[in-house]
Amino acid sequence: MYTELHARSAFSFLEGASLPEELAAVCKEYGMASMALLDRDGVYGAPRFYLAAKKINIAAHIGAEVTSAAGWRYPLLVESREGYQNLCRLITKMKLRAPKGKGNVSGAEVAEYAGGLVCLTGGEEGPLAHALAEGGIESGTECVRALCEIFGKQNVYVELQRHFLREEEARNHAAIEIAEKLGLPLLATNGVRHAQPERREVLDVFTCIRHHRTLATAGRLLARNSELHMKTPDEMVKLFSDLPEAIANTQLLASRLQFTLKDLGYEFPKYPVPDGKPQIHFLRQRAHEGMISRYGPNDERARLQIERELNLIEKLRLEGYFLIVWDIVRFCRERGILVQGRGSAANSAVCYALGITAVDSVKMGLLFERFLSQERGEWPDIDLDLPSGDQREQAIQYVYERYGKLGAAMTANVITYRGRSAAREIGKALSFNPETLNRLTSLVGAWEYKDANDTLARQFRDAGFDMQHPQIRKFFELCLQFQDLPRHLGQHSGGLVVCQGQLDSIVPLEPATMPGRVVVQWDKDDCADMGIVKVDLLGLGMMAVLEDCLQIIKTDYGEEIDLGRLPADDPVVYSTLQKADTIGMFQVESHAQMACLPRLRPECFYDLVVQVAIIRPGPIVGKMVNPYLKRRQGREAVDFLHPSLKPVLERTLGVPLFQEQLLRMAMIAAGFTGGEAEELRRALGFKRSEKRMKEIEIKLRCGMDKNGIAPVAQEKIVQSITSFALYGFPESHAASFALLAYASAYLKCHYLAAFTAAILNNQPMGFYQPDTLVRDAQRHGLKVKPIDVTCSDWLCKLEKNAPDFCVRLGMRYVKGLRSDVALEIVSQRAIRPFLSIEDLKLRVPLIQKSELTTLAEVGALNFIAGKHGVHRRDALWQIERAARRPGPLLEETEGAEEEPVNGSAEAASISSAMQSPLAAMTGEERLVADFRGTGMTVGLHPMGHHRVEMKRRGVRSAIELTHLPDGMRVKIAGGVITRQRPGTAKGFVFLSLEDETGISNAIITPQLFEKYHVVIVHQQFLLVEGRLQNQDGVISVKAESIQPLGITRAETTSHDFH
Amino acid sequence: MAFASIHVPNFLVQAVMRAEPTLRARAVALVDGTPPIWNVVAANEAALQAGIELGMAKSQAAQFCAVEIRQRSRLQEKSAHAALLDLGASVSPRMEDTAPDTIILDIAGLTSLFGSEENIARRLMRHASSLGLIAHVAVSSNLEVALHAARGFSGITLIPPGEEAKRLGRLPVRALLPSAEILETLERWGVRDCAALAALPLLQLSERLGQEGVRLHEFARGASLRSIALAEPAVHFEEEMALDFAVAELEPLAFLLGRLLDQLCARLQARALAACAIRLRFDLEDSFEKDFQVLGKNYSPKLAPKTYEKVLGLPVPVRDSKMLLKLLRLQLQADPPHASIVKIILSAEPARPRAAQGGLFLPSCPDPEELELTIGRLANLVGNANIGSPELVNTHRPGEFRMSRFIPASDESKISQENGTAAAAHVRKEDHTSKPCLAATAFRIFRPEVQAKVELQDGYPARIYFRGMRGNIVAASGPWRTSGDWWREDTWQQDEWEVDIRFDASASRRNERIPNSRTQDGLYRIYYDSIRAAWFARGRYD
Repeated sequence: MYTELHARSAFSFLEGASLPEELAAVCKEYGMASMALLDRDGVYGAPRFYLAAKKINIAAHIGAEVTSAAGWRYPLLVESREGYQNLCRLITKMKLRAPKGKGNVSGAEVAEYAGGLVCLTGGEEGPLAHALAEGGIESGTECVRALCEIFGKQNVYVELQRHFLREEEARNHAAIEIAEKLGLPLLATNGVRHAQPERREVLDVFTCIRHHRTLATAGRLLARNSELHMKTPDEMVKLFSDLPEAIANTQLLASRLQFTLKDLGYEFPKYPVPDGKPQIHFLRQRAHEGMISRYGPNDERARLQIERELNLIEKLRLEGYFLIVWDIVRFCRERGILVQGRGSAANSAVCYALGITAVDSVKMGLLFERFLSQERGEWPDIDLDLPSGDQREQAIQYVYERYGKLGAAMTANVITYRGRSAAREIGKALSFNPETLNRLTSLVGAWEYKDANDTLARQFRDAGFDMQHPQIRKFFELCLQFQDLPRHLGQHSGGLVVCQGQLDSIVPLEPATMPGRVVVQWDKDDCADMGIVKVDLLGLGMMAVLEDCLQIIKTDYGEEIDLGRLPADDPVVYSTLQKADTIGMFQVESHAQMACLPRLRPECFYDLVVQVAIIRPGPIVGKMVNPYLKRRQGREAVDFLHPSLKPVLERTLGVPLFQEQLLRMAMIAAGFTGGEAEELRRALGFKRSEKRMKEIEIKLRCGMDKNGIAPVAQEKIVQSITSFALYGFPESHAASFALLAYASAYLKCHYLAAFTAAILNNQPMGFYQPDTLVRDAQRHGLKVKPIDVTCSDWLCKLEKNAPDFCVRLGMRYVKGLRSDVALEIVSQRAIRPFLSIEDLKLRVPLIQKSELTTLAEVGALNFIAGKHGVHRRDALWQIERAARRPGPLLEETEGAEEEPVNGSAEAASISSAMQSPLAAMTGEERLVADFRGTGMTVGLHPMGHHRVEMKRRGVRSAIELTHLPDGMRVKIAGGVITRQRPGTAKGFVFLSLEDETGISNAIITPQLFEKYHVVIVHQQFLLVEGRLQNQDGVISVKAESIQPLGITRAETTSHDFH
Repeated sequence: MAFASIHVPNFLVQAVMRAEPTLRARAVALVDGTPPIWNVVAANEAALQAGIELGMAKSQAAQFCAVEIRQRSRLQEKSAHAALLDLGASVSPRMEDTAPDTIILDIAGLTSLFGSEENIARRLMRHASSLGLIAHVAVSSNLEVALHAARGFSGITLIPPGEEAKRLGRLPVRALLPSAEILETLERWGVRDCAALAALPLLQLSERLGQEGVRLHEFARGASLRSIALAEPAVHFEEEMALDFAVAELEPLAFLLGRLLDQLCARLQARALAACAIRLRFDLEDSFEKDFQVLGKNYSPKLAPKTYEKVLGLPVPVRDSKMLLKLLRLQLQADPPHASIVKIILSAEPARPRAAQGGLFLPSCPDPEELELTIGRLANLVGNANIGSPELVNTHRPGEFRMSRFIPASDESKISQENGTAAAAHVRKEDHTSKPCLAATAFRIFRPEVQAKVELQDGYPARIYFRGMRGNIVAASGPWRTSGDWWREDTWQQDEWEVDIRFDASASRRNERIPNSRTQDGLYRIYYDSIRAAWFARGRYD
């Protein structure tokens, strides 16, 4: 019987064309008991291969092809755990000293790490083929002899491959002769690169991508035939009928390869406790201190819960993990970095006591087992939210320093081919011209929602491609085949893995593109599957906003705000939320959230938790939003699906909204164990398979039958659970997010200027463009001042505008202005004020003409020559001269004229010298210039300039709509700020139109969208006519006709296609 | 001194409308590009108002139901331009061919012939209309003023001397065709018309916009002076001859061609030029019977074309009419016209004659003209695709090669020295696994391939029949499998075998035409073509 012991997967990045799971499946289909995966310079695909093989009950042997200094590759198979550790260390050594994607090993290094590894002589890229080509059979014999010296004679197999190629057969003859001479066993393999023969096409395209060629020019670089696919044992036996021992040896060798990934030997590091006491003792002390500060000394319920959790933590020996996370949090606190735990950790009272999370799980009655259970045998998952940017980096570097370069690393993020990237690469290989390629790639994946007709085939036809054309058809087929194949290894945004001892013996490490970063070869799911614990340090834009906001409040208002001690039930915050006046607030600012808020009318923190969780694809697709809102408003009776579910669903009025509720429902209704419920949770996750869902559904129904639940209730329960397949939030996670939502709402309501400056300084983030944020702040009474080089900094800042503050826009909003130029302007200005544009140009020589032009155009140079100022065109006129410096001959004379001038008379003369023969910009021109130069205006909204005409045309302003009755026919108009076509909305499009009074929303049916597609997508100002829907304070217009509104040439922008 | 400038606005659209007058009342957008990508490159006012934007994709434009989409036609633009030149020539011989959409006429002194300048302008408008063009006409004593006024103002514009600056005042600066950078600056300044531009102080303007600024300022003031650049009539080396009686045979045709070539070569000589290509076009007699027969037999639904065209490319410029005649004859022999000839049009592409001097110590090589003639003769015998230097192609496809143009040894050696090393390095770099193979024996490839019948035994070829011979395969090695070009229609998939064949002697005894089978015994390469499902013999090892 034959076993394939030399196969590459697509994790050889562009050198293999099938996923490990596909290889395992074909292996099973062909009746092989085991198979070995040898990817290039790594074990990237090993966890997926191992898990897939485990599921179908075949053995997954691990190995790798390791590149030598001469360019050929050692095919190495892992025999034991020592061999695996050696392989990981060898690859790590090679990777960490070379640029990303490069590297090789020397013979001496291989010898150092040869223990526990079996070496094959390889196919056409192996050592033997290379030696034979270099120096014939003598050289080949020497090469194999050298391998025997490195690995030991018993660990070297002479490999034979047969792909019906003359050169290969000649090599085989030589190999057999050498094997006989040296007394080595022969081993048949097929050097597999793809599972099925037809995947050769993908491999050929990969070859083109690797060599930057097209299929037409790649010539002999392409595969000579399609024989590199998996072959059945019968085929292989027939192919090697003259050498039966080569087939038999595959079995013998496979039986030697005892190592599997189950055997990793991973240990989480121990926390270095200061006085050498046991870790649990130290943890108990910290938890106790935390408990007293959080709950006070007399909260018996909290004490008991914490005690229970600590006992379990001790039992599971996880004290080190908690202490390490606590240590990171402590580091952040000491550095003044905002940090907050989220995810299932928020279910833990210990995490709350340790300051890791800010959600009181005892008070909220959260399920601790969701975070940690004895039964599950899985590491807990703690995610820490940090402000995005430098501060998160500080925390990451702290972990590296603390645990060493080989003790901590980021998890990888496997970048796979998606519609657009696949289309681009395939198009290039098929020699499509760049224009065609751009058109093609712009076609793919523009909207989240795809209706039944919105297929790739239709998109092709729409773009004028002939699907009958063989090349286009081939392109189309290849695009489909490319989906989900790995493209390269990226770095996960925040997942850190830490290991006791050497992480490089568990998984190979690689340098990341970012200097100072190291990544493991597995992504976060693979790490979790392999039982490696990770801590996610995630950058959250809103955390950065909150932190900046607190800093501004401290500096400008002179007040210290502690987010942990915000007033819990601030009436202003809740009334603002109820009015859906939430632009800029975390998690509650989207169109869908705004449409829900006036109906849900949050009155306490838990309502906000529900609000955050309810507008998710899970509850929306599961049709849980409306029942919940109706029950909350008392328009529908509360129903618990089944009386036994009352304790679970009582808090959410009988409607399941959180993940925990679904797990508990499965446990109560269908008798699932905790482990089975966890399996259900995973099945609901991202990598959802229809088959797995079906299996679970059958299991659910069986369980419910046993518990005597009626078919109607069963149907409802199954629907609730399966619709969550598009995932909803766990309650603890929603609570963590609700805290941030509350904090952002509180700061916006009470410190609008500081909040606006902070959010503008952290763009891009959130749902709206800066222009919308500024306008919203203005509607709330904030004065926002324009950019001015005489007082603006790089960032937006506050200026005293008695009795309150106003925001001065920062130069970061000047398009094309480099930060170092802006900082130089600020530092030169601090030395002495600029006298003229020429003075600025002389003192900031870095500045380019285009930058000066934009500054002038947006009015930032108007006050450069004094407080009376000039107009924008005056500045533009001067720039042209300042930018054309005279030649060296006249430079001295020019310089002499520009000595610093003091005194108001001189300043006035300079101001008059700044004047030009040009006419000042009109209002419309200023508007166009503002949007072109900064993407926003602090002046009147473009619609405001045309209100009289709008009134004449019967157009209502956004604010008027609130007073109009439901069902009335209205016209609304404004600049489009968002266009959405959510995946859950069946093709409906939601537009938000802004005018000078606020925002109005339009709902567009799929038919109408089809009709006005071009206008809706391409026009920035629209007039929409339709029926007003004014229900429970939620206002929108159901569009019946749409027309472009050419009121300005200003290039406003919108946030589209969420 | 007076000048009239004639400008055809939206020239691309007008060129198309000229050929399809029904479009005049419609919204029209023109698309251009390389299939399958088409973008809107021009549109008339009605189309722009309907929402069409320049640069828009054809698929987007097609969504505007009221807009007619047409493809840009360079041919129609060429003929529209020719019509514009004809229009100018109908009034004045002194004409400047300024741009495809604009010409300038010197109309000084024509008032006595055509009446007032206004009359001339009206006449030009009328003529333009009869030629299918809507034109703007401007008359001024200043050539540049006339030019810009025609570009910027519609209808007829008469600008009396001294009023240039005033009349140009309303003209958009865009009509002065400034560079993109300066236009952007002017737009930023809010300077949109000539009056605003002319009002700027010249010195300060020159400090900011340099000489181009000064030039534009002069244009805007109507103060720019330049002379007319008279259009030179294009030199066409073309001769044509309409025949009283259709000629069907080569000899009389060659006689006529000889005469025309003599004339052409004489004209070329007069201008010290030679021909680097000769274009030949015959108008053919209608061959009703022949077409009828073809259609009747239903072989091809297409009618045979009524013209015959041929281009004779020359390796070096030639003006030896006898040599050219010989080459043309060879071409015509290889590919004769399918009907009798009623008209001959012969044109030469002019080029500077060859001025080469052979090196004293260089080996003599064939005269290029003679060589071309010899190659022409050989091509006549074997077909154009079968002559030249064979060249291997970078592919796994067995036996693939292409014929490249034959280059004489001296040049070739130079070229191969330069290219050969580069090519070799290229191959090495590309395919480092394939090493030069030292063949022990030579291999003769059968071209064309020879179809064979093969009997298999246990999957191995056992007996073979080809070229009328039957043989036993005593040894076989294979299969060696290749496949590729899967993205093309001519994909291939072959299993090759090396086989040792012993032919059956009886076949050659029975049939004299079959060579002695014993001498045919030997080592062959045969293959099974999976696409065609057939066996072939590829060749034999010597």
